[in-house]
Amino acid sequence: MPWYFYLALKQLFPTGRKFPFFTFMSGLGIAVGVALLVVSTSIMGGFGYEIRRMIVDTQGEIQVVAQGAISRPDEVIARVEKVPGVVAATPSAQGVVMLEYRNKPSFPAIQGVDLATVSKVIQLEKYVRLGSLDDLDDDSVILSASLARSLGASLGSQVELYSPLLIEKLKNDEVFLPRTVKVVGIFEIGHQQLDQSVVISTLRLMQDLYGLGADVHHINVRIKDGANEFEVADAINRVLPGRDQRAITWFEANADFQSVLRFEKYMVFFLLSFIVVVAALSIMSSLLISVVRKTREIGLLRALGGSGRQIAACYCVQGFLLGIVGTLGGLIISWLVIYYRDQIVRVVAGLTVGQRVFLEFYQFAHLPSHTTSFDIVVITVGSIIISTLAGLLPAWRAARLEPVEALRSE
Amino acid sequence: MSEPILSARAVRKTYQSGDRRIEVLSGVDLAVERSETVSIRGESGSGKSTLLNLLAGLDKPDAGEVIWGGGLGLDVRSTFLGMVFQSFYLIPELNALQNVLVARRIVGGIGSAERARAKDLLARVGLAERSHHLPSQLSGGERQRVAVARALMNQPQLVLADEPTGNLDERTGDSVIELLLGLCADTGTALVLVTHNAAHAAKTSRQLFLHNGVLQSAPKPIQP
Ligand SMILES: Nc1ncnc2c1ncn2[C@@H]1O[C@H](COP(=O)(O)OP(=O)(O)O)[C@@H](O)[C@H]1O
Ligand SMILES: [Mg+2]
Repeated sequence: MPWYFYLALKQLFPTGRKFPFFTFMSGLGIAVGVALLVVSTSIMGGFGYEIRRMIVDTQGEIQVVAQGAISRPDEVIARVEKVPGVVAATPSAQGVVMLEYRNKPSFPAIQGVDLATVSKVIQLEKYVRLGSLDDLDDDSVILSASLARSLGASLGSQVELYSPLLIEKLKNDEVFLPRTVKVVGIFEIGHQQLDQSVVISTLRLMQDLYGLGADVHHINVRIKDGANEFEVADAINRVLPGRDQRAITWFEANADFQSVLRFEKYMVFFLLSFIVVVAALSIMSSLLISVVRKTREIGLLRALGGSGRQIAACYCVQGFLLGIVGTLGGLIISWLVIYYRDQIVRVVAGLTVGQRVFLEFYQFAHLPSHTTSFDIVVITVGSIIISTLAGLLPAWRAARLEPVEALRSE
Repeated sequence: MSEPILSARAVRKTYQSGDRRIEVLSGVDLAVERSETVSIRGESGSGKSTLLNLLAGLDKPDAGEVIWGGGLGLDVRSTFLGMVFQSFYLIPELNALQNVLVARRIVGGIGSAERARAKDLLARVGLAERSHHLPSQLSGGERQRVAVARALMNQPQLVLADEPTGNLDERTGDSVIELLLGLCADTGTALVLVTHNAAHAAKTSRQLFLHNGVLQSAPKPIQP
C-alpha cells in the first residue's frame, strides 16, 4: 500500500478511535444523496415497471389496430401468429356501455374477449379475485372491483347493459332491449385507474352490443419472453392484410404516459443529484480545513521525503474513500428503505393525511419498486467520481505548500 | 581527513519582507565529518532554522552550495537524513509505533524487519510499553522521544535537530538530549544540534555560533 493511501485511510479511520466522527459526518451527506437517488429512481422505475406489467398483462405487448374495425380477424390472426417471436394472438373489442344495477347507472368501459384464445395472451385469470373466468359466457360479465363496490353488485347480481347502439335504434323507432347479464366474477388489477370502471364480457356479447357482426377492434399479441417488442411489431406490420391496419407496441399505445414517466424520472434524478454535489462540497470544505489544520504535518511529510504529488494523492484518496464509504452507506440505506417501503409509507401516511385518504390518491395498492442495475451503476460511479473531484482542490492546496513554510507555520 | 558527510560553502539566504530585505545567512561555511556531533547556538531570529532547512535540502540557498555525502542527490534525503523539530510534528492519527514507521513507509515497504527495528528504537528511547499510544496520550518528552526514534528509523548518516528541547522542561530536555546523543554515538550517526542550552551544546564534539549571518567558533563578541 502506498504511504499516502495508508495515511489517507488513517486520517479517516484513526488508530484507536472507535467511531470516526468526521468520516461519518462527511460520508453521511453522500449517503443521504445516494439513498435518495436510488430510492426515488427505484420507485419511479417501479411505477413504470408496474404500469408496463399491467398494460402488457391486460393488452399484450403488441396490439394490431385499424382505423375502423378489423374485419375477418381470423385471417389476420393466422398471419400474425406465423411471425417469429409471436406466441399467440387474440381478438378483442372495446367500448363504453351503460350498466345499471338496481336503478343505479354507471358508464364503464367494456372489453370483449375471445374466450377460446384470450388466456394465451392476457393474464385475466390472474386478476380475477372472486368467481372465475371459466364461468364467463355470453350472458355474463366480470366487473372491476371498484365498479362492483360503487354499484353494490356482487357475484350472482343481475345487471343490465345498454349499448350506444340502443340510441341509434331508438332514433329509428326500433325497440332494442337492454341485455340482462349475470356477474360471475370480480377482478382487480391493483392500479386505481385500471380498476376504476371496467367490465369484461365475451367478444360475442360485445359484438352484439356494438353491432360488429364478426368484426373486432383490436388483436392483442403476446410475444416470446425476451423478444424485442419493437422488432416483432415491425415484422407483424409487414404481413398485415389491411392497409389501415397497424401493429403498435404497448409503449406506443401509451406513449404520452410513458414519456411523462421518463421525464419525471430524469427530473427527479437531476434535482436529487444536487444533494450529492452539495455533500461533495462539504467534503471539499472539510478537507480544505484539514489541509490548513495539518499544514505542519504536511511539512513534516515533505521533510521525510514525500513529494507534493504524493501529498496531493493523499487528499484525493480521502475524497475517494469518503465517496466509497458514503455511497456504500447510501446503498445500504436505500436497500433498507426500499425493503420496508410499505411500512414506512403506512407510518408516514398515518401520521399525516390518514391512510384512507392517502390510498385514494395513490395509484397502486403497494408502493412499487424496480431498481435497474444501470441506475445503480450510474449513481455509484457518479457519486464516487464527484467525491473524488471534491478532493482535488484540497489536494492542490496541500501540494502547493512549500515544505519550509509549512514547517514554520504556527 | 576523510570526506565530510555534509558540507556547506558560502551559503547565503535573504528574505524579502515587504520592501525590506533581510540577509539572514551571509556566507555560511560548515563541514560535518562522519559520526561528528556539532552544536549551533545563536540568538532567536539569527537564522538557525533557516540554515538547518538549507542543510536538509528543504530550501535552496540564494548563493553557495550544500553537498551531502560527497555529492548525493536530493532523492536520498529520507535515507540520508533524519530530522527532529522543536514541536515534534507527530501525526495525531497514528500511534507511536506507526509514527516511527511512517518514515520508512515513505521510502519503501514495511516488513517484519522494519517493524522489529521500529520497536527496538522505541525500546531504546524507553517507550516499549507506549508503542500503541497515540501522541495525545503521551507527554511532551515522550512525544519528542518518538520523534527521535522516527528520525533514526531509516538509519540516516546525519540527524539535524532544531531546538529539540525548546518545548520541554529542563529535566525532560536533558534526558532527550542524552538519548539523542547516545543513539547517535551508538549508531555512528552524525548530528547537528541547534540549541539554546549551553550544557547540551557542551556535550557535542564541536560548538558553533551563528552570529551576523555567519558561523563562528566563539560566542558573539561582547558589545563594548
Ligand atoms: N519566509 C520568510 N520570510 C521572511 N522572513 C523570514 C522567513 N523565514 C524566516 N524569516 C526571518 O529570518 C530570520 C531567521 O529566522 P529563523 O531561521 O527561524 O531563526 P532562528 O531559528 O534562529 O530563530 C528571522 O528574522 C525571520 O523573521
Ligand atoms: Mg528556529
